[in-house]
Amino acid sequence: MKIILKYIVNNIKERKLRTIVMLLSIVLSSTLLFVSMAIGDSYESAQQKMAKGSAGTATVEVSAKQDATGNTVWVSEDEIPQTASIKNMVGFITAPALYNKGSYYENIDLIAANLNELNSINKPRLLNGATLTDFTGSSIVLPEKFTTKYGIKPGDTVTLTIGETKYQFSLAAIAAYDTVFLRSTRGVNALLPKDTLSSILNTSGGNSKILIVPSGGISTEELKSELSSSLLSEKYNVTKVYNETQVASDAKQKSLPFYLISFFSLTMSAFIIFGSYKVITLERLPVIGTFRSIGASEKMTTRILLFESLIYGIAGGLLSIPLSYGILKLILNGLGESLSMGIEIPMVVSPLNILLSCTVAVSVSMLSAYLPIRRASRLPVKDIVLGTVEEKNISNKTKLIFGAVLFILSVILPRVVNKNSGNLLTLAGGFSLLGLITATIIIIPMLINLFSYVLEQVYGLIFGNEGRLAARNMKQNKNASQNITLLFISLSAVIAISVIGNFVSSYVGDVFHGAGLNGFAQADMSEEFVNEVKSVQGIDNVLPIYQLTNEISTDGFDLNQVEAVDNVSLYNSMLNIHYDSEQVKNDVDTSFANERNILLTKDCMTKHNLTIGDTVSLAYHGKTFNYRIIGAFQSRADNSDAVIPAAYVKSDFGVQNYGMLTYTAADPDAVMVQIRNLFGNKTNWCRTIEEFNQDAMSTVSSFLEPMRKLTYFILLLAAVGIINNLLINYIQRKRSIAMYKSVGMSNRQNVKMTLLEGFTSGLIGAVIGMFVSYMEIGTIFIVAGPKILVTPELDAGIFMMAGLAGIIITLLGSVVPILKGSRMKLVEEIKFE
Amino acid sequence: MTKMPVAIEGENIIKDFKIGDTVTRVLKGISLQIPKGEFLSIMGPSGSGKSTLLYILGGLDSPTNGSVLMGGKDISRYNDEKKSVMRRRDIGFIFQFYNLIPNLNVEENVLLPILLDGKNAKDYRKQLNNILEIVGLTDRRNHTPRELSGGQQQRVAIARALINSPDIIFADEPTGNLDSKTGTEIMKLLKEINRESDKTIIMVTHSADAAAYGNRIVSVRDGMIYNSNS
Repeated sequence: MKIILKYIVNNIKERKLRTIVMLLSIVLSSTLLFVSMAIGDSYESAQQKMAKGSAGTATVEVSAKQDATGNTVWVSEDEIPQTASIKNMVGFITAPALYNKGSYYENIDLIAANLNELNSINKPRLLNGATLTDFTGSSIVLPEKFTTKYGIKPGDTVTLTIGETKYQFSLAAIAAYDTVFLRSTRGVNALLPKDTLSSILNTSGGNSKILIVPSGGISTEELKSELSSSLLSEKYNVTKVYNETQVASDAKQKSLPFYLISFFSLTMSAFIIFGSYKVITLERLPVIGTFRSIGASEKMTTRILLFESLIYGIAGGLLSIPLSYGILKLILNGLGESLSMGIEIPMVVSPLNILLSCTVAVSVSMLSAYLPIRRASRLPVKDIVLGTVEEKNISNKTKLIFGAVLFILSVILPRVVNKNSGNLLTLAGGFSLLGLITATIIIIPMLINLFSYVLEQVYGLIFGNEGRLAARNMKQNKNASQNITLLFISLSAVIAISVIGNFVSSYVGDVFHGAGLNGFAQADMSEEFVNEVKSVQGIDNVLPIYQLTNEISTDGFDLNQVEAVDNVSLYNSMLNIHYDSEQVKNDVDTSFANERNILLTKDCMTKHNLTIGDTVSLAYHGKTFNYRIIGAFQSRADNSDAVIPAAYVKSDFGVQNYGMLTYTAADPDAVMVQIRNLFGNKTNWCRTIEEFNQDAMSTVSSFLEPMRKLTYFILLLAAVGIINNLLINYIQRKRSIAMYKSVGMSNRQNVKMTLLEGFTSGLIGAVIGMFVSYMEIGTIFIVAGPKILVTPELDAGIFMMAGLAGIIITLLGSVVPILKGSRMKLVEEIKFE
Repeated sequence: MTKMPVAIEGENIIKDFKIGDTVTRVLKGISLQIPKGEFLSIMGPSGSGKSTLLYILGGLDSPTNGSVLMGGKDISRYNDEKKSVMRRRDIGFIFQFYNLIPNLNVEENVLLPILLDGKNAKDYRKQLNNILEIVGLTDRRNHTPRELSGGQQQRVAIARALINSPDIIFADEPTGNLDSKTGTEIMKLLKEINRESDKTIIMVTHSADAAAYGNRIVSVRDGMIYNSNS
């Protein structure tokens, strides 16, 4: 055993460069997997943190509805039932304010709470570890981003307009962009003493909202349900602070590109290791022969060789852990800084994450090495000893048929599987991605032969005989096959990841794409208020929308949000509502408002097996009303599950005030300023679409930035693979150059031919890479299709740039054989077989 | 007796090899003249320097000192471009391990010097057919080297050496990798080429039987010409 171990260690030591390349490929791929998983988790954690915002550990929020005249109603802690399900509660008073310095106007959301109570759920984090003690009177705490921007220091006076009155505050402390100052949209939160804001707004001890922390063992859902049943729904809104499922699914969606990176990098590593072991076993044939001739069985020989790959796997896996931590830390730091809100992203690494990436490192190393090792171990001893081993060639016809069938299956399978079959569709997608790559690897030598035939004629005309020979040299050239394979995998990875990344970026960051509205306001709004908005200068169309959140259930399921409108045509255009057909859209336009009709989301219809024409019973506080489904819709701009006519939301459910309005205007910003003024100090959330998109895009782009950085790792892995290929094939290449030179090829001709071969490899790799990535993107969108609404726009520029990069990589890769070829000792190369 | 013109001439050829810090003198000032049309066999034990001499004469290697004159010009001073042109136009090489390009077929391997010379292969169709007939590979013209026996591969190498109608053919152990029967066939073929087309052949061999096909045998030992028999 000791001798065997010594033999293996010597093997590893002797081939330093190859050992480095193999280790690098394992380390890079398991690092990418590690980082991808951790980024997904960290992203989810950051999203949760942002979604929670000022709520801290509180998960349920209770607020009072406005009164009939549209005035704010304050809610007192005493109104909340005393129940064992509540661990803690904090009353918050909130109000909008405006900060003005020169020509700059900044929206500020004021938050006021009892400091001790606030500390119990979400202790403000002040800069330099400072603590807030005497927080009374005209004190204010502002986040660092704001104070830095306007050069405000502790003790300075800050003037804010609340309602229409100006108030002066003294900066008590500067806070980090965290805890109560954290927000998921643009703008700034400022913390005031509760009594101060209470007296300004005259709340008489009441609060805008009460944030509640559930007791241990009580879920958010349970607490919400308990409070909803004991608090009058006409008077109170009981809502979750944030939707965990939504955040998790959002994070999952954004992590997709990272997992794609892992998939491609693992495939490439497997190919690099497989290729290396093919050469390693070939080189070791004499040793294998010796082992076998002195009595080692096939199994024993396999084990000895596999042991070496195990060492690579373990070493690679272990090395990847500190590297992954370093890279993750760098990425998350960079990410935090690049986010416009400056959030600190927590690094979330689970033990499972570490275990999984190490296991994958070992598995990839051993499985990739297994096939060539097993083949070598099974060779007849006589053939090995006599050196008469010949590679078994599977006929091109068999390979072509197998490859073509696998390719076609991979293309067809996700297209024929039921789009609503969930896991089956995902499984078909996974098979398709792997199948497309495997099939292409199998077909590549034949594709190269075909390309070579065509290019021989073309190059002959353009580059003369050297061109003809360069193209001819590609034919049945294993070296070229391997380089092209590595290139196409890396290019298809880079293209697919870039396209998916851009798509996710625009999908998540531009939910209002195609929607007609230019701005919206969310608040409790009376009919009179909406009429005032309609008369705002510069406004074109106004669509007020009734909203019922978590209040209506129907035949066995809850509708998270039901909206109601008068003008469904305007609703359709404002929020870019999609129907299955023009016919359905026309039916909705003509008959929606006349009866108790309902539009349901397509997702909802599918999930609950409903069809157009069915009747659903909407239950509300013990009363039931039957509505007929007249359409199924999809919209990225709208979050509702159902839409009903406004007349019935009033008559059936007694809703008086609107929850949202959308508008169109030539100058949305000017209109928005007027609408904000109309709201005064009433709680509202108003945004122009441009503002909203800027917020969303900056968040999403920042999160996707690390993904773009990771794609460079894919290219690095490809470069490692191509260098590895150059190394393991250089002897063959040198000999071939020497053969040419011995019959009269000059260095100049060698440079021309090698560059042309490199260019051809790059060209073929780029064409195949572009085609395969196109097919893969097709598969990915088929699998993601049921969940998304928009058809991705493929940017030809990405394809072309990646293709060009591939050609450049192979041209650069040609430099080594060119340099070595020009300096080679011709006699030495041709003399020895 | 008329003196034959000289095909190639080596003057005081010295070749040193440096391995680590040790400099080994492999050729110690060899001078020899090879008249046009001669079939010269160079013999000698392993490490005697016979192959090095052949490669220097053929322009594949450069001497440390001395000169190689072909047509009155010192080819050892040629740059890479000139040497390459000379290799593809004026000489032909036959190697022990054939040195055929594995992914080119017989025709393409034979036409390689023509193609590298920028000529149109179509213009050499007739010549190709003749040469393939001489070496007996007419029916194997579309085969790749791996589909041929050792003897057949060596015939391809001979055909390649002949395609540009060179004045001199260099052969390094042309039968060294072949069985005796095939080796004899190859030697007969070379002899026939020498006799029929008046080509100068310079052959290195360790086989006395093969050497006997030459008009003259030169023995090299310890980097010097030891004996020269006609």
